[in-house]
Amino acid sequence: MSGDTDPQDDRVLAGEYALGLLSPEEARAFEARMATDPALRQAYAGWAEDLAALTDDMEEVAPPADMLDRVDATLFEPPQRRSLLQRLGLAWIIPGAVLASLLVFFVVSNDLLVPDRGAPALQAEVAAQDDSLRVLAAFDPDSGTLRVTRDAGGAAPGRSLELWLIAGQAAPVSLGVLPDTRQGVLPVASDVAAKLPGATLAISDEPPGGSPTGAPTGDVLATGQVPRRDA
Amino acid sequence: MATPEEIEALVARVAIGDREAFQSLYATTSAKLFGICLRVLSSRAEAEDALQEVYVKIWRNAGRYRVNGLSPMTWLITVARNHAIDRVRARRGAGADLDAVAEVPDQAPGPEASAIRTSERARLIDCLSELPDGRAMAVRLAYLQGETYAELAARFDVPLNTMRTWLRRSLLTLRECLSR
Repeated sequence: MSGDTDPQDDRVLAGEYALGLLSPEEARAFEARMATDPALRQAYAGWAEDLAALTDDMEEVAPPADMLDRVDATLFEPPQRRSLLQRLGLAWIIPGAVLASLLVFFVVSNDLLVPDRGAPALQAEVAAQDDSLRVLAAFDPDSGTLRVTRDAGGAAPGRSLELWLIAGQAAPVSLGVLPDTRQGVLPVASDVAAKLPGATLAISDEPPGGSPTGAPTGDVLATGQVPRRDA
Repeated sequence: MATPEEIEALVARVAIGDREAFQSLYATTSAKLFGICLRVLSSRAEAEDALQEVYVKIWRNAGRYRVNGLSPMTWLITVARNHAIDRVRARRGAGADLDAVAEVPDQAPGPEASAIRTSERARLIDCLSELPDGRAMAVRLAYLQGETYAELAARFDVPLNTMRTWLRRSLLTLRECLSR
């Protein structure tokens, strides 16, 4: 095929591509051309559209009743055996989290932030590696709320930031969507608050209003570590 | 079956992570897509596995759908068909990964283009019937069974290059018929 610029040849080539008749090398070359050639994309889309008519006479068959549950399980309930950090794609964060907890430990052990109680303050700085997003989250046991202060960064336009608590091997628990304002207060249920010591806090990029799934769906933008009680 | 506009709206909501929309999309389209998987794979167990993977893909790739040039139902059909073909080819040991094909980005077609396509689509069967018997069958086998040029050449007992020439000529005839 030397006449690659011949529109007739391209129409045929797009049909071969849609049918899956091209070799892997040819298909890749076609895709590379298609990326910059709207006419070629149009030619492919036309074939995909036309060929889909071959499924018109196929009998519809109801899938097994539990199929959607199986799909949901794959998508929304990752196996418990994988570590949480892996599940969140956070494995790279460990060194940062260790550093962050050391910093918190330093600050805490120097009594810089600790209220005059025996235990260290349940708070964490949740920050991106490059500091493009930085939020201080501090738990107030008296009111059962988490005070969040956004010191740097914010949600992308039309997106929300959601704060998560990750305790040990348990699935992330949403602590709520961060307010648009710099400061805000998030109520924390007592059973969730009990998990704060030693937990990792993470902020993810989510659709407006927060994750629709109850689990992080977008990129994890920042993490931080709440000190342990015995720290 | 929901209208294309309803399906498009559902896909758009799935793209922003709307699980309720995903359930509706599944309820509306799963019988069609399962029918395709069954037809391609001829095995209920395999078709079930394929369908499960197809909806995982739909959830994950719906975000890229809006820049895809296909109509919403064609996109869903293409995802299912390509995935089932990949599986049937893996079973036969014939390479070529088609998964990427349905994810090809494109500008969304204008309303005229969509309307034209709807009428073109109905004509495919007519146009196929204008091809000599074996040639229409080769197109069908490629689409519905993922047969490669080598497999088609063996089936029709002709040299590979002859098969290739036949099929390319058939595609050109088809395209011209569809554009009439």
